[in-house]
Amino acid sequence: MLMQLTISGISQGAIYALIALSLTVVYRSTTIVNFGHGDFVMAGAFLSYVLVVLLGVAFIPAAMLAVVAMFLLGLAFSRGLIRPIRGGPHIGFALMCISAGYVFRGIARIVWGREVLPMPRVFEIEPIFIGDLIITGDAVFIISITAIMLVVFFGVLALTDIGKMVQAVYQSARGAQLIGINVDRFNDFTWGIGAALGAIGGILIAPISLLHPDLGASFLIKGFAAMTLGGFGSLYGAVLGALILGLSEQYAGAYINSALIDITAYLVIVLVLFLRPHGLFGRKTVVKV
Amino acid sequence: MMPTASQLRLRTILFWAVPLLLLALPLSTNSYVQFIANSIVIFSLVALGFNFVIGNLGQLAFANTALFGLGAYGSAILVNTFGLPWILSIPLAGLAGAAGGFLASAAALRGIRLYYLAIITLAFGELMRWLYVHGKSVTGGTDGMGVPAQSIFGVSLTDDHAKFYVFLVVAVLLFKSTLNLLRSRIGRSVMAVRENEVATASLGIPTARIIVFAFMWSGFVVGCAGALFALHTSYVFPESFGMLHLIVSFAMVLVGGLGSVIGSVLGAAALTILPEYLRSFPGMEELFFGLIVIAVLLALPDGLASLLRKLSPIFVERYYRE
Amino acid sequence: MTNLLEVEGLDVRFSGLHALRDVSLTLMPGQIMAVIGPNGAGKTTLFNAISGYVRPSAGSVRLRGHDVARLSPHSIAEHGIRRTFQNGGLFPALTVLENVLTGLHAQTEGSIIDVILGRKQALASEREMITNARALLALMQMEHMADTRAGDLSGGQQRIVEIVRTVASEPPVLLLDEPAVGLSPLARDQMMDIINRMAGEKGVGILLIEHAVELVMAGADRIMVMAAGQRIAEGTPAEIREDRAVLEAYLGHA
Repeated sequence: MLMQLTISGISQGAIYALIALSLTVVYRSTTIVNFGHGDFVMAGAFLSYVLVVLLGVAFIPAAMLAVVAMFLLGLAFSRGLIRPIRGGPHIGFALMCISAGYVFRGIARIVWGREVLPMPRVFEIEPIFIGDLIITGDAVFIISITAIMLVVFFGVLALTDIGKMVQAVYQSARGAQLIGINVDRFNDFTWGIGAALGAIGGILIAPISLLHPDLGASFLIKGFAAMTLGGFGSLYGAVLGALILGLSEQYAGAYINSALIDITAYLVIVLVLFLRPHGLFGRKTVVKV
Repeated sequence: MMPTASQLRLRTILFWAVPLLLLALPLSTNSYVQFIANSIVIFSLVALGFNFVIGNLGQLAFANTALFGLGAYGSAILVNTFGLPWILSIPLAGLAGAAGGFLASAAALRGIRLYYLAIITLAFGELMRWLYVHGKSVTGGTDGMGVPAQSIFGVSLTDDHAKFYVFLVVAVLLFKSTLNLLRSRIGRSVMAVRENEVATASLGIPTARIIVFAFMWSGFVVGCAGALFALHTSYVFPESFGMLHLIVSFAMVLVGGLGSVIGSVLGAAALTILPEYLRSFPGMEELFFGLIVIAVLLALPDGLASLLRKLSPIFVERYYRE
Repeated sequence: MTNLLEVEGLDVRFSGLHALRDVSLTLMPGQIMAVIGPNGAGKTTLFNAISGYVRPSAGSVRLRGHDVARLSPHSIAEHGIRRTFQNGGLFPALTVLENVLTGLHAQTEGSIIDVILGRKQALASEREMITNARALLALMQMEHMADTRAGDLSGGQQRIVEIVRTVASEPPVLLLDEPAVGLSPLARDQMMDIINRMAGEKGVGILLIEHAVELVMAGADRIMVMAAGQRIAEGTPAEIREDRAVLEAYLGHA
């Protein structure tokens, strides 16, 4: 039972990791928290649904198309809606992100009405049996894709020139500018990456969960809970926090009360912010006044 | 361009004259228009409370919708379960909202700010909604709660026209109180925290307490509005206090003008009348409000109030009373 | 005469960096003490430690005998230590008058309920503070700017308004962090005028971080020299001018 829950927890945690990571990537370089990110994730999932179900495209190409489309959308969002309001108060950015999210949500709802949509099985992966343990095909798929994405992501970050550039901007946007990095374009690119990563998370969860326009809200909270637990701004923290969240939900749901699965994320947020606001790996940001 | 002394006198006269004139409104409207007018009054209060935190204090707050719901449910429960006359439930709903505001912002006392505070208010808001849905025995769950017909001193309040008088009086009282607060050392300290919290502390002002106070006042105003809303719709259910309401509140405050009291009225009026036609089509409201906020952020970030200020200095706010 | 401000053995460490080492100083009422030293000497850290924005790892800060060292910044300010900020701490969206009024926050009477209900006592106190604030602005010949948005002022004017706001409550101790930076000679004179008035007429003890040597030599009663987080010299301007340790810190040789 414990192992079964652990597998589920890791599988859920993998999705949360993608969402938390995509939020962190944007936050690190722009200091903007995308409060509409859940809806970006939902948009990615819906795009893949449209391609697969309505246009009959095969899953893998559809997924790739959706990811690219979301990347471009993220880029356009940064260019067209974030850059123009740069001088204003931070609240403006938050509102812009939330509103974009609502636009996605509204469009999704208009097109799909009140239905809750099942995404058809994409391909059959044989479940793995280890003793009493059943690792479902979906879990295998989600965990392996996420693991690959994480390896690629952190690998690129640490080993390539682009990755070094990203690290430079993270350390100091001013300094990066001085050595010739176009921070504006970099930020657009970052938004694109964030949207794309989020879309992957949405696409991975689409086949196993029912799609509806309000999917985004719960994703947002999970992403925040993971980031808060791991420490805001920490990339590793986001992934670790996500895994811990996924596991906690499953354990709490099974051993304490099934209703807890829904609200574990909120409880994590409240607890962490009261007890250790900078989470596991974050920097101390408590204001001393 | 500050208002002159005579303009200030005119402003005071107008503040009281307009509601007095509005008292005649119910005599000339049909039920449908009256319902809209009632909605505008209630949402002006919602915008007023919300604006206090995101406009004057400058902190992102997602708990407002939940506090509005707290006021509405609080009033409905007091009326249904405890048999309290609705009118008495109004200040109690306000207190419930204030208590909620305290809980939502208590983290501020420990030094939490900005995004973390925003996230904690978001979590708090969602937790409250979860409670409405799952607290079936108390709140009626997803089915909601009805509010039975009310009367004050024998005068029936089932009619929208009758309700308007109560709504108007409550609104005027809350608006005046908020203006009094803003035009005092308290209002100045709230805005000082927004401008530069570190410098504010250096003047001996307890900034964390100011933040909590702002959330509590906002909660009080919005909680009272919730009680009004309960009678307005005669029915309270969780859906009214969800994400749609949140974006609507943001839109009202932004369209009206961040931090502007008159902006709260303008934003509420503009965004209550316009979407009437959108209600039938699912998704249109969200799309509409989302686009409105984006448009205002790009084209008129200081809202309609900024246009009014250009029109006459009488609309320029002074945060002191001489 | 009792010491107004007594800082003893103040020590500040930031993860690995020993920013302040055993710094002590004494300030009398009406005394102007300049704190000088090369960049990175720890002058602003000293101010931050005294005013509560940085927690000292050791030492005490006694205001009229009462140790305020580990209190929160707003408590320390309430006790009577006020300061200005290197990068300016004005409230841009508020007017000049409103800015100065925030400096008088603690003196203004009236609880929240009094304010909401518009009680006479609260309104009377508010009017009194406004009169005081206007008088202060008039002293600086700035009364015509009372209703100007602080953010619309020039840099130099902003600094003067910030000082006016800080001294409005006549605090016993004032910490001024590079108040004259970027000011025109005229504004600089105005600044020194305020400082001297505060010290001379109101008995305010003033600690001043300043780089402009002439200002320091002419305006200060005592000078404290810092380098690498430590106090390396303290005395009258004449004494400091002759001090070898000081010359070495600044010029690298005796």
